[in-house]
Amino acid sequence: MSRKSLGGVALTLAGALLAVTALTAGEAKAAFECPVKGGDLVFGQEAKVNSLDMHSSSTISTRNIAMHVFESLMTRDEDNNPILELAESVETSDDGLTHTFKLRDGIKFHNGKTMTSKDVAASFDRYNKVGIERAILGNVASWEAPDASTFVVKMKASQPTFLEDLSSFSVPIVIVPEEVAQADFLKMEPVGTGPFQFVEFIADSHVKVKRFEDYKPNEAYEERTGFGGYKTACLDTVTFRIVTEPGARVAGLETGELDAVEDVPQSSVPRLQENEKIKIVPYENFWIHIATPNFEKAPTDNPLVRRAIATALDMDEIMEVATDGAYNTNFGFQQPNRKVYSDKGKEFFNLKDPEKAKELLKEAGYKGEELVLLTNKDYTTMYNAALVMAEQLKDIGMNVRLEVQDWPATIATRDKQKDAWNYHFTGWGTNSSLGYLAVFKFLAKPRPIYTTDLESTDEVFDKAYSDMLSLPSFEERAEAFARAQHRVMEHGISLPFGWLTKNQAVRANVHNFVPFRIPRMYNVWMDKES
Amino acid sequence: MGRYIVQRLLSSIPVIFLVTLISFSLMQLVPGDPAIMVAGLQATPDEVERVRVQLGLDQPFHMQLLHWYGNLLQGDLGTSFLLGRDVLEVTLERLPVSISIAVYALVMTLLVSIVAGIIAALRQNSWVDQLVMTIALIGVSLPNFWLGLMLIVLFSVHLGWLPTGGYVDFREDVWGWLQAATLPAVSLAMLQMGLLARITRSTMLEVLRQDYIRTARAKGLSESKVVGKHALKNVMIPVVTVIGIIFSLLLSGSVVIETIFSVPGIGSLLGSAILRRDYPVIQGGLLLVAAMLLLLNLVVDVLYAYFDPRVRYRNGK
Repeated sequence: MSRKSLGGVALTLAGALLAVTALTAGEAKAAFECPVKGGDLVFGQEAKVNSLDMHSSSTISTRNIAMHVFESLMTRDEDNNPILELAESVETSDDGLTHTFKLRDGIKFHNGKTMTSKDVAASFDRYNKVGIERAILGNVASWEAPDASTFVVKMKASQPTFLEDLSSFSVPIVIVPEEVAQADFLKMEPVGTGPFQFVEFIADSHVKVKRFEDYKPNEAYEERTGFGGYKTACLDTVTFRIVTEPGARVAGLETGELDAVEDVPQSSVPRLQENEKIKIVPYENFWIHIATPNFEKAPTDNPLVRRAIATALDMDEIMEVATDGAYNTNFGFQQPNRKVYSDKGKEFFNLKDPEKAKELLKEAGYKGEELVLLTNKDYTTMYNAALVMAEQLKDIGMNVRLEVQDWPATIATRDKQKDAWNYHFTGWGTNSSLGYLAVFKFLAKPRPIYTTDLESTDEVFDKAYSDMLSLPSFEERAEAFARAQHRVMEHGISLPFGWLTKNQAVRANVHNFVPFRIPRMYNVWMDKES
Repeated sequence: MGRYIVQRLLSSIPVIFLVTLISFSLMQLVPGDPAIMVAGLQATPDEVERVRVQLGLDQPFHMQLLHWYGNLLQGDLGTSFLLGRDVLEVTLERLPVSISIAVYALVMTLLVSIVAGIIAALRQNSWVDQLVMTIALIGVSLPNFWLGLMLIVLFSVHLGWLPTGGYVDFREDVWGWLQAATLPAVSLAMLQMGLLARITRSTMLEVLRQDYIRTARAKGLSESKVVGKHALKNVMIPVVTVIGIIFSLLLSGSVVIETIFSVPGIGSLLGSAILRRDYPVIQGGLLLVAAMLLLLNLVVDVLYAYFDPRVRYRNGK
């Protein structure tokens, strides 16, 4: 990444957007060149793809493919900082009410048409109608396209975090041609500006994309960074094959039918590491394993009981069993490499002190009320974590019952039957990855998991969360995040276990595949022989 | 016979109605909110509500049901919540995939198990009989998902003979289809082979003890004629009876096998639709599968008449 654009990002993060801020891309340097061009890379994907409509699908499996086809005004770099993608610059007015984007020149869509601000406006129109995360635009008063290369967003009120929200890759506002943006919910054609263009989608079988010959890389950068930067398609085609069974994915990699795969079971890793034709590329901190409590059902309505539970648990043991060893128990709701990282609240984490926990239970007046752990077997790591937690809590004299349902049923039970559970097992992947603004979304109004009574939410946390979203400078927001995290741990609003490592793997002839939240096939090349 | 077939077809209508009614009701009873599945876990209550209205899930149960039956009468099975595509189109894309593998597995089952069962019966209590029955017992006992994975390890990873998964349309490449479909078909067929071989053996033993077989032998007919002409046709009557059941089991077993072998069939479609509460796909898929099985049972019943002349379909009896 160039220095100038780094500086721009820093400005964004620093919250200097109250002043007129220019987020401008830097000058070109020696850009990445493909050492080898050609080949069809077959990627074994673990989850089925329901749709390639990036506005209307929130699944990771959609993103895996769609992020190669579509691009947005802004995205995130390798360290999750907001960067420009289809925009060349963005300026924010003094009052923070107007963001003016200048678009990069000569960007072509896969249908041959040149991108203009009309397409951007049409994409925003559609997203506002059918976009899964259209709340991003909740504070936007209007947008307009005064000329072909300028796009202006007008806010209802100043929102220092707007550009960070806009750069979210969760369900990004990808830019599509005006005519494509007329499509209904889930029906948008995959026509974007990305380095790969859509070829075919055979549901539950595969999706194929090919190099987009008219792709114009972002010359403000030298290399790919995160979902942006200097992207180029070295491969002729990429076939994303749906292989949901982990054993079959590993077998496909071993035979060479698959060139790269995601989610290799940890139990297969030692064997694959001995195979010189295969490289394991672990992606650490893929998601944070977590259980969220229910404040409306005894005994977890009592903060002391929640404290006792947190005091008793041995997170290393829980994560070891849950993940077969693919984990770390670094503390924090953000990865340590993030600028916002804080260890506030660490004193409440992974204490492994059953004797102290028993004392706390006594102090709390615990009388053997049933503690229901709501978990599922669709995600075995969640089920295993619940099993170990149950045993550890039985050891301190708690009356624990496991309630096992399928994943959608646990969500429905969690949201609609507050008398049926005490802890719900889940994992926060995308949200933790998106950064501090997103990670506590599930604990905040309007839908905090721990209570349905919005009058009785935790005031300390609510204040910290609100500050996190609204304070003008990054430093102030980061401090608010640390306060929020401390409160979450102190008050037991959430119970983190540790971070899961997701093992990705490639054949030895695949180069420059750097593990990331979503596998990236741009700037990746293959030798002919494996 | 024609009248019988028409009557059977007409009597299928209430069965189909009941199947769809039960599945529609069951889906409403199972916890899980399709609106959340579509909107995503990060959606606000307002967004989830908007999706609910968009999908028509805000309507009362009876209205949703009536709406579905109304559309069904016009040949419209609705639109998938998650795929955003026409359910009839999606299911018709997948059915040939599952049927082709199920038929392959059925053919394999019939060929192997009938021959094995007959040989075992003719060599009763010999080592051949013991071997066949032991293999049959193993076939019955092995879970098909485990067998599938073991077959992948042996035939794909170690021997490199067959692909680990995927599907090739037989209309485009028969050899490719054969390669891709063999391991899934074997995994599906093993259990049924074991069962059918045991049925064939015991039926053959019973038939061989009948008076007409003794008579045939007394007439001086060769053993091959006794078995091939007189015994085999009678053995086929119970076999034909279970063919329908076997085929339905092969189709239902495809949920697991299609997942292991990454086959885009109806089993895999229904499995993921259930996990994601995609009601229209579940409903439409079950309807088509139920209709197909009813049709298959009708075909089996008609085949009785061929194998057993005592069976006649007159006046619907």
